[in-house]
This record gives sequence, structure tokens and C-alpha cells, in this order.
Amino acid sequence: MRNLATLLFLGGLVFLLAAITGTLPFGHPPMLVGQAIQQAAKPEVGAANVVTAVVLGYRGLDTLGELAILFAAATAGGLVLGGVQAKGRNNALPAAGFVLRAGTDVLFPLLLIAGLYVVIHGHLTPGGGFQGGVILAAAFFLPLLARPSESLSHIWLSVIEGLAGTAFIALGLGALYNGDAFLTPLFDKGMFGELVSSGSLPLLYLAVGLKVGAELSSLLMRLAHDDGAAS
Amino acid sequence: MTDVSLAAVLPLLGAFVLPLTRHGILRPLGPVIGPILLAACALILFAAWSAYDVPYAVALGSFAPPMGITFYIDDLALLFALAVPLTTLVLWPGESDPAATGRQSLTLLLAGSLTGLALSGDLFNVYVFYELAAVASYGLVVGDGRSPAYVAAFRYLMISALGSVVGLIGIAIIYFKTGTLNLADLSTLSGELADPQGMAAFAMLVIGFGVKAEAFPVNGWVPEVYGAVGKRVAALLAGLASKLAVLVIVRILILVFPHDETRQLLLVLGILGVAVGELAAWQARDIPRMLAWSSIGQLGVVFVAFSLPGKAGVIAGVTVAMHHLVVKSALFLLADRWDRAIESLKGAASTSRIGAALFVLFSLSLLGLPPLPGFWSKFLVLGGLAASASPLQLLAMGTILAGTVIEGAYLLRVVVTFYARPDAAVRVPGQRAGNLLGAGLFALVLLTAAVMINPLWQGLEVLAERAVDTNGYQHTVLGDREAGR
Repeated sequence: MRNLATLLFLGGLVFLLAAITGTLPFGHPPMLVGQAIQQAAKPEVGAANVVTAVVLGYRGLDTLGELAILFAAATAGGLVLGGVQAKGRNNALPAAGFVLRAGTDVLFPLLLIAGLYVVIHGHLTPGGGFQGGVILAAAFFLPLLARPSESLSHIWLSVIEGLAGTAFIALGLGALYNGDAFLTPLFDKGMFGELVSSGSLPLLYLAVGLKVGAELSSLLMRLAHDDGAAS
Repeated sequence: MTDVSLAAVLPLLGAFVLPLTRHGILRPLGPVIGPILLAACALILFAAWSAYDVPYAVALGSFAPPMGITFYIDDLALLFALAVPLTTLVLWPGESDPAATGRQSLTLLLAGSLTGLALSGDLFNVYVFYELAAVASYGLVVGDGRSPAYVAAFRYLMISALGSVVGLIGIAIIYFKTGTLNLADLSTLSGELADPQGMAAFAMLVIGFGVKAEAFPVNGWVPEVYGAVGKRVAALLAGLASKLAVLVIVRILILVFPHDETRQLLLVLGILGVAVGELAAWQARDIPRMLAWSSIGQLGVVFVAFSLPGKAGVIAGVTVAMHHLVVKSALFLLADRWDRAIESLKGAASTSRIGAALFVLFSLSLLGLPPLPGFWSKFLVLGGLAASASPLQLLAMGTILAGTVIEGAYLLRVVVTFYARPDAAVRVPGQRAGNLLGAGLFALVLLTAAVMINPLWQGLEVLAERAVDTNGYQHTVLGDREAGR
């Protein structure tokens, strides 16, 4: 009976969505704000990557909100897993095989460079803090797979996380000091397309990248330890 | 220059910094950061209310609307925003166990996001803050580490995630049809959203934001979660978070969908909420579940109130919402130690005389006994319904009146149990001093409101006039040039 009700509900929802999307003018939506931003982004923000101009400039507060959501999820995960982790670390787990260990040693610096490159060039090329941060987290998670007994220090991760989040907000507050609104880009816009350009946007993305990287690393570490403690 | 946007940002900053205080030299700062920042937010908002010429708009990042995100500051926004840090301060989780830092971080994130919900004038920014509030509240629900809370949190997570997806589809439809997300810009284009697609989008937004606002079809999580979690968290979610979600729906209703059909949708959901909530509360056997169901019923009244057109609707809705915020938060604080079946609380009045007396006070105000503020809130709703008196509104009147009778039955049953002769076998726990202090503060607010009803009424008139002034909103945000479009 319950399954039937669920099926009926889902069918209704799909029908509703199909009916709505069927009548929407696909292909040529009104681009009121979109068009305006595409024209204004280059002189106003100075980032070669228009997506970054939107993510960190026009909608910077949303990005701060997303960072906070990720942080809330990591904190909530920590609260759930915290109890299990206190029971003891999985020192008993042996190191992984030779292939994984050697592979990790080779991959770690490459991933680190790739991650930092994606973060630092976020205002010029596709990519940015969120994507680069995930690559950084992967770089730090690999050693954990290869040698489970030696792991990163939780304290350092939480320090990086906290400082990066603080730096993002501090860059926003700096604008208040100048008499502008919160999160107004600071500094000179520089040469369009240069590495040092578009004001404080690269710094904001660096903070995002470090925060995302540290957060995902510590979450993955908690999960790995939890797994080890449970088995 | 102090900027009102700080009130939404400072709690986030506090949440990011708090984990740093777990080790090293910052340790003594840990317990005080949260309260200090919340007090600072309250001061900033209070200063904004008294110093600036409201209403005004803040373009975040100095990007002119509609391209950037706007905060719109009027009396309605400031009233709800100011309620956030003040209520959070009273309900602050001041424990000192190892997990406390996490819980305090999440509480700060919740406070920041709720303030953002009150101030934001951008549909997608509202969604981001709403998601932040949702994720922070999942964390707070599991934060106690009790296993019933895990089960409840999972159910809550599922319903809330479904609601978020539906709400996001609603936002996508609106964006697809208009090409903008700024509420002021949308309100100039509201004519384009007055078709079935627009109505569907509004219904989806109501479902999405209704999860936290405990609207009728998506409130299955409420009794389970409030029954299982610590009562301070329950008070935060039932008292505070639900009101901010309602505020978001009301803003969208007034600015973007000022049609009879959308008001009728709120009215129907409200009637169903009152009927289901009050009947289920009557059936409830323990105090937290009874309060949870009664909270669903009260939010039904809030929806009915806001469905009234024009100024009358805003005045009635704000009164009911603020009254419920104060009363339900206080009742949940009192339920912290009386978290059990009603029968086993026989003679609670003899162990905690003040606790029982406060419970009676709040119950009477909830019922609407004059001269307590609860009377005025119900009076305004019923008066507004009687003024236009369509068949649906008469039905709403009947439902609210019947709901009040049921409410009286179950609240007085509890009160009678409190004052019954104590059972020798069962020892009723006394109240914690901290909870009594918090509830006492709420009682003070309630009694002050009862005495100051005249100045409050004048303030509400001004507030409502500005809140329904759609043209003023457009002019304030977009300037004169765009608003004439």
C-alpha cells in the first residue's frame, strides 16, 4: 500500500514536471541578468573566467554560504563519528602493498601541484577553489590509504580550515574598512588575463581551496578511522 | 560604518574560529566567542533600526542590483533578524563536554543563516541560507549522540532533502521564466508569473521552505525530532527557525505572487495544519510530542493569518508568529526536565513551583486568554477572517476556534496533572536554574508586550505598511529608473 502511494506520488511529480517543462520556452530563455553580467563582468571585476566573476564577485555571499554549508556538514559528520573515533586509532592496520605505496609517493607531489595550479588559476581558466580543493584533499588522502598508521594531524587540519574561513571573511570585511559593502573586491584589477589580476579574487579562491581541501581531508580521515575502528 | 550585513556574517566567522579554540592559547576564548558575537549582532541590528532611515537596501560586493545580491532592510526584516541573536542567546548551548564546540559552531551557523534569511532580497541567496540552516540543524539534531535522535535526524534529512529539491525546481522555473533572481526585479515582472507555471513554482517554493516552516504536507519529521533531541535545540527549531522560513514564504507571496490563488493555497495549508496539529496534540501522551504537534497547529494559524490580504494579514501574521516564538521556545525550555509521559508528572508543581507557574502562564497565553498577547494575536486573525468572510475563510475561522477548544483540553489536562497530589512512587525532577531563567526572560517579554500593547500596535501598523509597499521595495532596491518598467 505504502509502495503504491509512493509510486503514485512519484508519477504525479514526474507528470507535473513534464507538463511544466513541456510548456517552457527551451533554448531561448530571457537572459535578463545573465546578459547584463556578461557585458559588465570584464570591466567591473576583471576576471578572465566569467564564472569566477559570478561565483566570487556578483554572488560572493552565496559562495560564503556554500563554504559554511560544507563546514556545517563536516562538523555534523564529526559529531556523529566523534564517539567512535575516541575508542582508539587503527594502528593495527598494516601498510598497503608496494605498488600502492610507491604509486602514492609518485602521485602525491603531482596531485599537490595540480591542485594548487587549479586553485591559483581559478580566475583565469575553468576550475577554482572548490575543484582544486578536492584535488588537494585527494592528494592528502592517498598517503592515508598507503600507510594507515601514519596520518595527518587533526589539529593542523582544523587550524588550516579555521584560518582559511577567517581569511575569506576578513577579505570581505576589508571592504567595509574602505567604506564599501561587504565582499567588495579589494585592490587594483591589474592586467586582464594576467596571473596577478582581478583584485582580491585569487586570494578569495585560495582561501576557498585551502578550506575545502582541509575539510574534505579531515572528513575522509574520520571516515577511514571510523571504518578501521568498526572492523 | 557598521553594516547590517555583519549581523549575518559575524556568526559564520565565529563558527569558523571556534574549532581553533579547542587547543592552545585561544582556549579561554572558546566559551565566550559565541555569546559575544551574538550580542554584537543584536547591537548592530538594534543600531540599524534606530539610526538609519529604513527601508534601505545594501548591495553586497557593491554590485548594483539585480546583478549582485541585495539585502533589503525594513522593519519586518529587522524585527525577525533581531529575534534571531536574542533567542539564540537565551537558548545558547553552554555545556563544556568535548562535543560542545561542534554544537556551538552549528548553533552559530544556524543563527547566521537565519539572520541572512530575514535580510536577503535575492531568491537564490535565500535558498543558500536556507540550506545552511537545514544542514546546521541536522547537525544539532544528531549532536546529542542519542540513538533515537539518529533515527529522527535521518527521517528529517530525507524529508528536508526532498523539500530542498522541490524548492530548487521552483526557483529554477522562476529564473527560467524571468531571467532574474532579485526579489525586487521579480516583483516588477510578477505579471509574467501569473500563469499556471508560476503558480506551480510558488507551490513548489511553499513545499520547499515549508519543511522548516512545518507546513502541512511536509511536517512528518516534527514530532519525532522534537521528541528525540535536547529541548534547547527543539526550542530553536520550533520557535525560531520555523518563523524565518515563514518570513521567506511571506516575502515571496507579497512581492512576487500577490494573487488570490496563492493566498488561497496558504489558507488551505494553514487550515489543514491547524486541524491535524491540534487533533494530534490532543492524542499525544508525552510533553515534547504534545508541544511539537501544537507547534504544527500554531504555524497553521500563522499561515492562515498571512493569507489575509494587505496590511491586516501582515499585522496578524507577525503577531501570531512572534507570540508563538516566545511561548513555544519557553515551553520547550520547561519541557527539558519534564521530557516524559504526562501521567508521570503528577505533582510537578510541588517540586518546581515556579516552573509549573510559568507553564500555566504560557499555556494561557497560547490559548488566548485576555489580556495576554495570545488573545490579541488570535483576535486579529479571527477579525481579519470575519472581515472578508469567503466560505474558505469561514471554515478557517471554525477550525481555529475548534482548535482552541482542543488546545484548551490538552493544555489544561497537563496543568491539572501538575497540580495534582504527587505520586509517592514517582519522583518528578525539578527544573534547572538555567532553563527557569530562560523561561523567565521569555515570560518577561510576554508580560511586557501585554502591558505595552498600544505602542506595539502603532509600531506594527508602520511595519505592515512598509512590508506591503511593493512599489517602495522596487524603488529602494532598483532606483527610480528600473522600477517603472
